[in-house]
Amino acid sequence: MKQLEQIFRTAGVTGWLHAVDIDTGREVGLGADEPVVLASVFKVPLLVAFYRQAERGLIDPAERVTVSPEGRPGGGTGVSAMLDEVTASLRDLAYLTISVSDNASADTLLARVGLAEVNAALADLGLSRTWVEHSCAGLFTAMREDAGVADMAELSQMTTDPGVLARLRVLDPARTSRSTCRDMTRLLGLIWRDEAAGPGSCAAVRRLMGLQVWPHRLASGFPYDDVAVSGKTGTLPTIRNEVGVIEYPDGGRYAIAVFTRSIGTAQNQPRADAAIGTAARVAVDHLRAPFVGPDTI
Amino acid sequence: MSNTDIKLNAINVWISSLLMDLVRHLRYFVVIAEELHFGNAAARLGMAQPPLSQRVKRLEDELGVRLFDRSSRQVRLTDAGRLLLPEAREIVARTERIRELMARAVRGDTASLRAAVPPDLGASVLAALIARFRAGHPDVRLTPTEMGTSDQVDALLGGELDLGVLRHPVAAAGLGFGPILVQHPGVLLREEDELTTLATVHLADLAGRELVLPPRALEPGLHDETLAGCRRHGFVPAEVRHAVHGQFMIGLVLAGTAVALGHRTDVPGVVWRPLAGAPLAWRISTAWRGEPSGHVAGFADLTTRVLREDAGMSDEGAPPRTWVAPRPATGFLS
Repeated sequence: MKQLEQIFRTAGVTGWLHAVDIDTGREVGLGADEPVVLASVFKVPLLVAFYRQAERGLIDPAERVTVSPEGRPGGGTGVSAMLDEVTASLRDLAYLTISVSDNASADTLLARVGLAEVNAALADLGLSRTWVEHSCAGLFTAMREDAGVADMAELSQMTTDPGVLARLRVLDPARTSRSTCRDMTRLLGLIWRDEAAGPGSCAAVRRLMGLQVWPHRLASGFPYDDVAVSGKTGTLPTIRNEVGVIEYPDGGRYAIAVFTRSIGTAQNQPRADAAIGTAARVAVDHLRAPFVGPDTI
Repeated sequence: MSNTDIKLNAINVWISSLLMDLVRHLRYFVVIAEELHFGNAAARLGMAQPPLSQRVKRLEDELGVRLFDRSSRQVRLTDAGRLLLPEAREIVARTERIRELMARAVRGDTASLRAAVPPDLGASVLAALIARFRAGHPDVRLTPTEMGTSDQVDALLGGELDLGVLRHPVAAAGLGFGPILVQHPGVLLREEDELTTLATVHLADLAGRELVLPPRALEPGLHDETLAGCRRHGFVPAEVRHAVHGQFMIGLVLAGTAVALGHRTDVPGVVWRPLAGAPLAWRISTAWRGEPSGHVAGFADLTTRVLREDAGMSDEGAPPRTWVAPRPATGFLS
């Protein structure tokens, strides 16, 4: 069995991966063109669309908005977890959207940018396999409908039940926000080469992805002080994802997308998290090897 | 089409009509042999007597023997006729089976069924499953294989398997599941183990021993849940050994290297004891992709019955949901 498959299998997950050297185009993949569930990774295209609109003068990133405590989508971080009214600039909500995957901030931005505009930006960038289907609130509504429950607390207690999981539309790439590993590394390459938007906007997106706090997935595979890891995770029941860029001190930079789906239903999947880091490391090591190897490992 | 092709085609048609004709003549022969009366046979076949007599004459000419002795007023089989009768019956019956099979193929309900069971299901349960399915569905070709849960999920989703019998928890888009049955595993100890003096064993009694489990890659759900359950009840294995097949597992137990969990087995040198309070639950169910066809649904029902009746698994309804303590890093859309 191939090395990447072995890593995923040992972790009890099905995995999809694509890694590419941003500057040479050298690549390696596993199921790189198969549709995958984006989950919170959709916040990266949202952020790109946000800054592209700002460049066109349609949005002022410094504009202060107030997010009321009512009607916030669920979530355990950022504004979603706060009790009171929050007033912050749109770009600071963008920071929370990426750094701690804050759903309330993401939906505030999305309401301003528009779902159609996010998809238009993706189409404009040539990312034809990527589609954003719903806001965080919309995604949660679909989950509650499919699970047949009224509130989020109840929902979070039901998603270890295989029977419930089998009904969730948001776990089916055809019916939720979706992409492919290759589309995601292409997007990251555009961001890192200042091609997804203007240089200032791309730098802002890179900064926010570098401020993401989670250490358990991509970052766990690169425990080196001199290696920078920027990324965005995606999490739903059985789904563990992260896309990001790994930058080495010698200038080597690698866009990588890892999407997994666990066979087990436990909400805590430390092995799946770690497998994302391990698989990414194996892929990047492969790309950094002095000889030109095969495009699958 | 070339001339040669046309000729070959004509020859094929001629041969097949001859064969059809031979089978039809053999059928007439069988009916007459059973009735030993041309009038009754003709009535049974729904035809007039003279053409039936002509057909039998033609068959006798073709084979070069007399099949019936019509010299007396009674019709009797000749020795050659008696020899032919069982062969003719066989050919007629087979031809009818072929027709029926092909008719089902046209209707699309034929069948073979590719089913997989876990390697540790147990020989007697597997035998009961296969025997009962064959008895109920003699016309369906059953291909059983042994496969771990991960492989079954891949094979079901890849269309290489019609029905799986797998361990939960399992989540995979597009799979349907039958009722989830529960088995409370006991512990397999070496005969010399001091714990065999106890009628039931507490998991905590096993503390410090090594444990044999199926490999995580094959049974991720069972592996993780079992280890978590053992730890929670005071049994932190000194080492976890992995065994795919029952014989390897038994070998490790016999060698005194480790204890194993599972159903009662009658292996010399190994003693099975229930675990006090049934702290572990292994859940198993049938699984298929999409909507199950008639055979798949039938076999799924049968499997569930066999697991209940022959493997002593109980239908405890929905598995008890364990409390999920919310954590920001594993929350939805984190």
